[in-house]
This record gives sequence, structure tokens and C-alpha cells, in this order.
Amino acid sequence: MKAEEAQRKQQPAKFFVAGPPMLFLLLFFVAPSLIMIVTSFRFPGEFGGLAPFAPSSVPVAPIGTPVETGFTLEAYEFFFGDIIYAKIFLKSFAVAAATTLICLVMAYPLALLIARSDKRLRNLMVLLVVLPFASNFLIRIYAWMIILGPESALSHFINTFLGAFGLGPVSLLFSPFAVLVGMVYVHLPFMVLPLYTNLEKHDRSLLDAAQDLGAARWQRFWRVTWPLSLPGVFSGSALVFIPVLGMFAVPDILGGTGDILIGNLIKDQFLGTRDWPFGSVLSIMLTLAVLSVAGLAAWFARSSGTERAG
Amino acid sequence: MSRGNRWLWLAAILVYAFLYIPLAVVVIYSFNDSRLNAEWVGFTLLWYKTLLNDHEMLLAARNSLIIAFSASLSATLLGTMAGLAIHRYNLKVLPVLVFTPVAMPEILLGVSLLLFFLQVLHLTLGMASIIIAHTTFCVGFVAIIVRARLQGMDESIFEAARDLGASSWQTFRLVTLPLIMPAVVAGALMSFTLSIDDFVITFFTKGVGEPILPIQIYTMIKVAVTPEVNAVSTLLMLLTLVMIIIASRLEANALADKTSATGGGTGT
Amino acid sequence: MTCRTDSRQAGPKSFFRAIPSLLMSLAILFAAGCGNHEKSANSAGGEKVLHLFNWNNYVAPETLDRFSEFCNCRLSQDYYSDNEEMLAKLAAGAAGYDLIVPTGNAMDTLIRQGVLNPLDKSLLPNFKNINPAYLDTAFDPGNKYSVPYAYTITLIGFNREKLEALDLPTDTWAVIFEPEHLEKIKGRVTVLDSPRELMAAALKYLGYSANDIDEHHWKQAAELILRAKPYWAAFNNTSYVRELAAGNLWLAHGYSNDMFQAAHDAAKTGRRFTIEYSTPKEGAVLALDSMVLHRSGNQSDLAHQFINFMLEGKNAAELTNLVGSGNPNMGAMPYIKPEIANNKAIFPDPELLTRLEMLRDLDRKQRRLLSRLWTEIKLK
Repeated sequence: MKAEEAQRKQQPAKFFVAGPPMLFLLLFFVAPSLIMIVTSFRFPGEFGGLAPFAPSSVPVAPIGTPVETGFTLEAYEFFFGDIIYAKIFLKSFAVAAATTLICLVMAYPLALLIARSDKRLRNLMVLLVVLPFASNFLIRIYAWMIILGPESALSHFINTFLGAFGLGPVSLLFSPFAVLVGMVYVHLPFMVLPLYTNLEKHDRSLLDAAQDLGAARWQRFWRVTWPLSLPGVFSGSALVFIPVLGMFAVPDILGGTGDILIGNLIKDQFLGTRDWPFGSVLSIMLTLAVLSVAGLAAWFARSSGTERAG
Repeated sequence: MSRGNRWLWLAAILVYAFLYIPLAVVVIYSFNDSRLNAEWVGFTLLWYKTLLNDHEMLLAARNSLIIAFSASLSATLLGTMAGLAIHRYNLKVLPVLVFTPVAMPEILLGVSLLLFFLQVLHLTLGMASIIIAHTTFCVGFVAIIVRARLQGMDESIFEAARDLGASSWQTFRLVTLPLIMPAVVAGALMSFTLSIDDFVITFFTKGVGEPILPIQIYTMIKVAVTPEVNAVSTLLMLLTLVMIIIASRLEANALADKTSATGGGTGT
Repeated sequence: MTCRTDSRQAGPKSFFRAIPSLLMSLAILFAAGCGNHEKSANSAGGEKVLHLFNWNNYVAPETLDRFSEFCNCRLSQDYYSDNEEMLAKLAAGAAGYDLIVPTGNAMDTLIRQGVLNPLDKSLLPNFKNINPAYLDTAFDPGNKYSVPYAYTITLIGFNREKLEALDLPTDTWAVIFEPEHLEKIKGRVTVLDSPRELMAAALKYLGYSANDIDEHHWKQAAELILRAKPYWAAFNNTSYVRELAAGNLWLAHGYSNDMFQAAHDAAKTGRRFTIEYSTPKEGAVLALDSMVLHRSGNQSDLAHQFINFMLEGKNAAELTNLVGSGNPNMGAMPYIKPEIANNKAIFPDPELLTRLEMLRDLDRKQRRLLSRLWTEIKLK
């Protein structure tokens, strides 16, 4: 009786509180996504944008083939018709995976140290990790243009070093290496924070117990700390992997000729080739890719969680 | 300090160096007396003077501030409501709607909003379109922070309020809101920062004639790079640093108040 | 347990207790500061604003200021660095521009779409200043919609000392496409990140027209490009200017006025090399930029005033003197610096002019094909 009453009392409040955000997001998140799906099934306009649903009454001088209207699978055929697009997706996955791995290797020791530090120092250290994030994202990428440029101190140093072994000069900038460095640099805080949040909650007594049982430092880490930190590892990895998949600014600014990723291709369709249907197809494919990665991450996190409980 | 910790410290210092050296480079070159960022020539404040006279840049900064304010205001409002709703009520749809934009690559959101604004709303792109777009992706962040705070709170305090006869609104106003305020403020600040810094979504949803700071910087990087870009970022970094120092000073005071109010920080 | 959570969250999160008020005051200061700046620069209330959609750095600041005074109005510019970008934004419905400065083929598109307002020649007495050679293009016969503004040639810019030392030719596309030349400058060359421009250069080198739409010829051009690609440092539309002047690049495929800028920068920063540029003998792309009126603009009178203003010889010359762009305005010649007026790369001989072509737009099927070819080129 009391539960029902409470439920009924909740109803109006529920609408007031949940209503506005729900409406807002339905309008500005769900609707646009649906529009994008619809767009992928349409013809591109003669001059960009989209062709009308039905033949328009206003005559438009055709350049080539007559204007086609209505719905079509043309854009999807175009996508599946050439293996090049699958290759770009694979490439983007590879870059995302590499970035995630490097971020993990770099972030883990730092997160561990912060988690084990004195409480006041901890806050400062977390702050220091987050602070670079406060500067403009483009500037952080641009800084690497300066550092990796062919005339920079670093380039000179590395090339002199290589020269001593008779190896040719390498260009650090406008290369896959530069793209990777840029990606890691931009996403590192996203790996540190979830890891730290997880590691901080670890119970020290477990490690002490392991030590008492004679486990070496390495074993203590591998058998106790690492498994417990897996949920943090997975959420950090997801927070890095997914944004990297969709990035275009880093390859755009730091990348070389062949370093385009799926994000660049999508951007080109909308702001370059003006092929909206194809751009939508690419976006939908990217969304599917992201959803599968997110699903995998969630599944891993859950299964490692149950292991821990057991 | 044990041997293991020493390695950790070394690794940590290397990572911090990795994080900060590029920023130091940007700052140092903002004082470089050369139009190119290639090598150090001499010290000058020319670029800061140029910056202060750069009408476009100042306009861009103003527009970005306006957008960030508006977006963080609406995002905080909607996000707090969402966070509350998700925590309190057993909702199925709202969590998905709220948290997905956070997880999605920004380009997808930017592109779909562009299509939506033009095709369906026939909205002329401008400040309004950017504010809406920014709000959409910031709501999730606020909701996450508010909800996390709520999850860490003791439910009994709400039950107590209800038992004492407080209505939902009273409970919210006098109990919930003060308790979640730090999270709300943190969410507001997060939205503000995200909005000022946002490049991708702004790139797709911006309109004509109104310069926006990150786009301005992007154009400068790709086209007419002068150390003026370095000057802008140095100032922005300085601003954030000052804000955070002041905030931490105030936090120390606030923590003292809070500790006495809730009866102990580390104990119990 | 609860208290510990609270205090832990009190840490980073309640940091920002007073931030809102601080931010508020900063923002107000900022807005007020900018507001004052603007007010002092212009007359009070009801000020007219002319919206320009233009290439970067395509109007001299002095010219803008003078026009501002002349018309008692304000100019607001939005920029693009690529015609495609401009067209895409317009196709996406961007509105409110009074004046746009598109290149020939983009203008072709705009005219066909019907989004331009015809010009009222009676408001443009200075129109007679334009060199007839640049009027009556295939895109706009009779110049109903457009007034030529400036032109650039897509050519090659290079570090003269380096290329001389390596004994490389500087008057042919071969130096961009032939591995035998590229070996010597590997990693020091960039080409434009524009499918149309690069394909045009390749097609010209192969002896075809830049507007060739034969799929086989396109495949040939793509193969030529792929063969040369490993030697190129990057596909780049803008920062090659900086890199050439800094000495990082020795050769670049780019626009004549960008090369002018690079040469100027190199000289000004006291580099030990000089940047020169030349039009390859096989021919190249001529980009004629014209002023047009977009139908979404609402300042038609002001726009006409601006066009007429820019048609004055003295004003037209300012842009050329600033960025080294080609000038179709005969009245401007006396005002142009002699070293620019005599530069064959900026003001080509009539003979070379015949081998320069203006790009025409493609239909949607051709655009898609080009897009795929381009993706393959980028990825292989």
C-alpha cells in the first residue's frame, strides 16, 4: 500500500524532473540521428546537399545525368563497392588501438602513484594531469608541430643520432608517428582519471596480505592490483578508443599524405565533396563500429567484475 | 621510499614532462621575435600587442564566452535534472539518451546536428545553433557528475526529510540541492570548459560572420600562423591557472566550513 | 562510510565553489571591453554591416579601413581556404553573405543553382577598368553576375638555391611527378590537398586538358600521382607557405599569391635562400576570382558600392601589392609595384595565357568518382 502510494506521489515529480532533459535530447540528439539515417538513403543534390524527394518544378540546368529523386541504396553500394573504405576503417581501428595501448602504459604508473600518494598531494597531482586539458585542444596539437618540425631541436637530435648509424634523416612531422603522438597527448588524461578512480579504491590490506604470504612485488601487482583495476582499465580504454576513432583534427594538422582516418573522410564528404548521402553512410558505419566497441568494453568490464567478486 | 616507488616516480615525472613540455614550448615561442615558430630569435611582446589589437580575435573570444555561458547554464540545468531523475527513478530511456552523446565521437554529433538544423528546422546557422549543439553534448557530463554525487550520498537523509513531512519540492530545495551543489558547480565548470574548447562540433554548426575562438585558432594554424596563436593560448592557460588557484584557496575555506557542518571529514 | 565519500568528493569537486561569480565578472568585463572597442570604431546605432565571404587574406586591411570610412559602415568577413569549403557551407544553407568571391568553377555552380543576384551595372561606373581578356567567361557570358577581382595561377614554388644545387628543372611539372627528380628532394615537397588541382596538374603534365572528364585519363593521372606520392612530404593547402619560408620545404605545388608571400617572408626574415615560383610550361590552372552577390544578402547598395570601390585602380592595386595576386584591372597597373608588375608568374605572357585553363565544375557522379579516386590516392 505504502509503496504504491509513494509511486503515485512520484509520478508528477517524475515528469517535471525527467521531462525537460528527455524532450531536449529527443529533439536534438535522437531526431538528428534519425535524419542522418534517412539521408543515407537519398540521392546527392546536383550541386551538393541533397536531391529533392520529388522532381522539383523549378528547372535546374543539368550538367550530366538528369536529377534523380527519391530513395536509393546507391550510397551504400558505393561504400561496399570498394575495399578502400574497409581499409580506412581498419586503419582507424589500428590507430585507436595503438593510442589506447600507449595511453595505458603511460597512464598506469602515474595513476598508481597518485592513488598511493598522500591525500593532499593526490589532489594536486590529479589537478596537474587535468590542467593541460584546460588549454585549447588545437593549441596542444599545434605545439607538436613546433616540437616535431624538421628544424626543431628534437628533429636535429634524432637525425644526428640516426646519421651516426648511417641511417637517413626521418621526418617526424606529417607522419603516422606524429599522428600517434598527437592522439596520445590529447587523450592521456582520459585514461589517467578512470584508472586513478579505480586504483584509489583498492584495499591496501590485500597487498599487505599478499606480501605476508611471500609474493614478490611483481606478483603482487600482477595477481592483485592488475585484476582489481580491470574495470578502470576498460572504462579508460573506452574513453580513449572511441573518441580516437572519430578524430579528424589530429591527422588533419599533424598527419602526412596517407594518414587520413575515417573522421577526415566524413568531414570531407560534408565540407568538401558535398556528398551528404555518402557522408551519412560513413557516419552510420562509424556509429556501428563505436557501438560494437562500447558493447565489447562493457561485456569485458562486467565479466572481469564477476571474476573479481568470485 | 621503496625501490618500486622510485620507478613509479620516474615514470610519473616522465609523463608529467610529456604533458607539460609542449605547453611550455607554446608559451616560450609566444615571446619569440620572429613571425615563424621555427627557432628562437629574441624576446618580444609584439604578439601580445597584436593580439589585443586583433578585433576578430577579441570578437571570437567574446562570442566563445557568450556561447560557453549559455551552453553551460542550460546544460547544467538539464543535466542536473537528468542526473536526479536517473538516480531517483528507475528509468530506461533517459540514461541512454543522456549518456550516449558523451560516449559518441563528436564528429557524429556535429554532422547529424548540421543535417538536422538545415533540413528540418531550416535554421540559419549561428550562435543559437552552436549553443544548442554544445548543450546537447554537455548535458551528459553534468548528469554523470551529479548522479555520481547522489550515488555516494546516504539515502536516509531523504527519508528523514519525507518523514518530517517535507514535500518533494521542499526536500529538493532544502536538502538535495545544497548537498549536490558542489557537483552542480563542477558540472557547470566542466560544461563551460568543454564549450570554450570545443572545436569539432562548433566546426560543423557554426554560421556566418561570427568568429568563434577555436575556429579562429584553427584557421590561424592552417593558414596565417603567427605567434599570435601562441599568445592567445598562453593567456587562456594563464586565465585557467589563476581561476584554479583562487578556487583552491576558496576550497580550503569551504572545506573547513563543510567539515564542521557534516561532523568530520575522515572519521566516522 | 558516507562521510569518507563526502570528504573525498569535497576534494576536487567543491574546488570550484566561487567560480561562477568569478567567471561572470570576467565575462562581463570582456563583453564590456569588446563592446567599447567596437563602439569607438563605429558610429552609434543602426550601423550597416557588409558581410563578406572571402578567401583568407584577400583584401588589404588598408582597403577595408578606407572603405569603412567611405561608406560609414562595418565589414564583417568570414573565410574559406577552398572553394569546396565555401560551396559546401553555402549548400548547407549558410546565409547572410552579401558578397562572395568565388573562383570560376565555383561561380559556375552558384549561377546554375540560381543563388546569385544579377549586378546593376549602372552602379558600377568603374567596371570599364577591367581587362576584356578576363571578361565574358564561359561561366558568366556578359558578366551578368560577376566582376573579376583577382586571379591566381596554381604553379610551383621553390627554394632556388637548393634546386639549383641539385640541378633540378623549375619550369615543368616533371619536378613534381618524376621519381628521377623527386629522389633528390624526397620529403621536401608538398602538393595541394585538392583533388581538382592535383588532378589538373597531372592531366596537364600528361598532355590532357585540365577539364578532361575521361575516366581512363583520370586513372592515368591517378597512377602518375601514386608513383610520385612516396616522395612527397604531405598534401597541404596552406602551411606550405610557412614551411617554404622556413626552409623546411624546397618545392611546393601551390597558388601564386601564396608563393609571393613565402618569398616575401623568406626575404624579411633574412633567410640565406630565396623563394621563387614559376608556371610550368605544360600549362596550369588559372583561377579567376570574381565578386558576386549572394541572394541571401540584404545590403545590395552597399555591396555595389564595395564592388565599385574595389574597381578603382588604386584600391585594386593594393591587394596585388600586398599578396601578389594577378590583377585583371587595367586601371591598377600604374599603382602596382614594378617588381610585381614585371613578374611573369603573376602577370603571364599572352602566349602562356593560352595554356592556362579555368576549371569547370563536375556533376555529382563525376564528383563521387573523383572522391573515391582521391581516397585511394590518399590511402595507397
